[in-house]
Amino acid sequence: MTELKEKLKAQIIEQLNLEDLSPVDIKDEMPLFGEDGIGLDSIDALEFIVLLEQNYGITIKDPSEGKEIFQSINSFAEYISKNKA
Amino acid sequence: MKIFVTGYGLISAIGEGEESLSAFKAMRTGIANGDTESTKAYKLGVVKMSNEELRTKYALHNSGSRTAILGMVAAKKAFEGHKIIKGVKTGLISGTSVGGMDLTEKEHKKYIDGQMISPSAYADHSSGVSSHGIARELGISDFVNTISTACSSANNAIMMGARMIKNGILDRVVVGGTDSLTLFTMNGFRSLMINDSEWCRPFDNSRQGLNLGEGAGFIVLESEKSIAKTNKDPIVELKGWGSTSDAHHQTASSENGYGAQLAMKEALGIANLKPADIDYINAHGTATPNNDLSESHAIKAVFGSSIPAFSSTKAFTGHTLAASGGIEVVFSIMAIKKGLLLPNLNFSTPIEETKLTPQLTYEEGRKINNVLSNSFGFGGNCSSIILGK
Amino acid sequence: MIYSCKIEKGAVFLNGVKQPIGLSNSENWTKELYLELGLNYPKFYKMDDLSKMAILSFTILKDTVDFEKFGEDDVSLIFANSGSSIETDKKFLTSYSENESPSPSLFVYTLPNIMTGELAIFNKWFGENIFIINEKYSPELYLEQINFYFSKGAKACLCGWVENKNSEQDCTMFLMTNDGAKTTEKELLDIYNQ
Repeated sequence: MTELKEKLKAQIIEQLNLEDLSPVDIKDEMPLFGEDGIGLDSIDALEFIVLLEQNYGITIKDPSEGKEIFQSINSFAEYISKNKA
Repeated sequence: MKIFVTGYGLISAIGEGEESLSAFKAMRTGIANGDTESTKAYKLGVVKMSNEELRTKYALHNSGSRTAILGMVAAKKAFEGHKIIKGVKTGLISGTSVGGMDLTEKEHKKYIDGQMISPSAYADHSSGVSSHGIARELGISDFVNTISTACSSANNAIMMGARMIKNGILDRVVVGGTDSLTLFTMNGFRSLMINDSEWCRPFDNSRQGLNLGEGAGFIVLESEKSIAKTNKDPIVELKGWGSTSDAHHQTASSENGYGAQLAMKEALGIANLKPADIDYINAHGTATPNNDLSESHAIKAVFGSSIPAFSSTKAFTGHTLAASGGIEVVFSIMAIKKGLLLPNLNFSTPIEETKLTPQLTYEEGRKINNVLSNSFGFGGNCSSIILGK
Repeated sequence: MIYSCKIEKGAVFLNGVKQPIGLSNSENWTKELYLELGLNYPKFYKMDDLSKMAILSFTILKDTVDFEKFGEDDVSLIFANSGSSIETDKKFLTSYSENESPSPSLFVYTLPNIMTGELAIFNKWFGENIFIINEKYSPELYLEQINFYFSKGAKACLCGWVENKNSEQDCTMFLMTNDGAKTTEKELLDIYNQ
């Protein structure tokens, strides 16, 4: 799981062009969206859906499902490990 | 100084000009599943004629991208009976978001497949080329310009034309918008996950997103001074316009539709009308969860407890992007001229938060003095215009 | 009054004076400038080059103008270019035609007016904004537009020509305030040609 989380952080940084962040800046439990966390927005959530499809073969049909899945690195990684093809 | 509309024309998935009214009357949508491998998963509002069929049927002298050809059809209809006259400075302002992307996609595919393509293959790509093609078809050369502010482009073209007349720069101007369907836009809206694979349901609680469409709509604006020379009959008056920034998000509207509120208020101010003077609103109503909620809040904020009849006509035509304001201004003109209220298709349950019910039936014989037409674009560009008797 | 800023690979001009900012000619020049200006706007990295250049120019311009004095809808935005969003268009086209996964963040920027939207978001401005596609930089067009906006009560117009086409990347930005001062086509041309 730790390995998956670290990989995920690097993928997020690359996919979203978060050039001012490095994987260590993103804590596992930190909220990814909203002002308290790293401040991602709805377009980033859609980009996550592309990331899931491209890298993990997981398809999300309803974007509103993303809200829970993408809460934090913890929830994101958990979802991937459960649903990975 | 008053500005009058002296011509109008449109083409969309529900036909050309007045043909649209029979679709409204029969509650018959122009939207259906795409008929090619790459479009069959989408519900689309396609104009059911090929480029060549359009060019033959409407006797077009010029060619170009589908965006340009659709624009020529609608603008030519609007300009019917008009002539280029010395002393009447005439311009054309067209809104488009994709320009010649339909041709570019075809050429690009050839290139990827390893075929030779001509060095001028991308000559039609630029948004401005379609506008110049339309102007050439009409013989207009005094002033040609292109506006690209996403789905509010046509309303902004109308507004810019009105201002150029007001400021004495032009006497007469053909304004509106055109966009053709492309894989570019289909994939784009797919990536934003705001396409509905079912028929779109504007202002309904169950709405899931939009259906894309294609088409064009243009009107002719003239000053009184110009009308004295062209002898055209004023059909309606363009009374007000307003455009603002929502300053919220690249693609999403703010929750309370603040930018939209300001645009509607500004248009009312320029028209010197009260909210109660508006008899019908042709809403932007894209059927995305975000737009319809935001627009409902904005309408409530501007109109309070007495909200006029309103509807979105996009469940008939699809969302035609930069053309939508042009097509819907023509619907608005027909509503005033013929005393119509246009129906909102596929509605069953009001949005939980705002509880507004749009106009559900086609009605004739109403007295429609003033109509407000909204168009809101990505980038937070909100534009409203008002037409009246 | 008129205030101006022009940025391009390797150079920054503010009100006609070349600024002592060391920029390289690399493709990364916008990032260099962002770091040089000490701007803290993480969203910057996610933007397309049109928006990046606009935010950078505005940040430089802001140093000489008191923007605080303008109300939320006092400033109108009038922007133009010839290439629209062509560079992002190409990237997006590749994302769906070759990689079969259209990128939402690229699609968003396939409209040139997202750039004016980004400026509005950056400043919380609710005034009017327009994006015009024109063959070339046209002082006449700006003057016409500025007159319209001033006649409807705008206190200032922030105008610009932001181009990102092939290897051409530059942003000319100027602010005209509505205080009776006049500018000329020549002055606007000089700002562009510096």
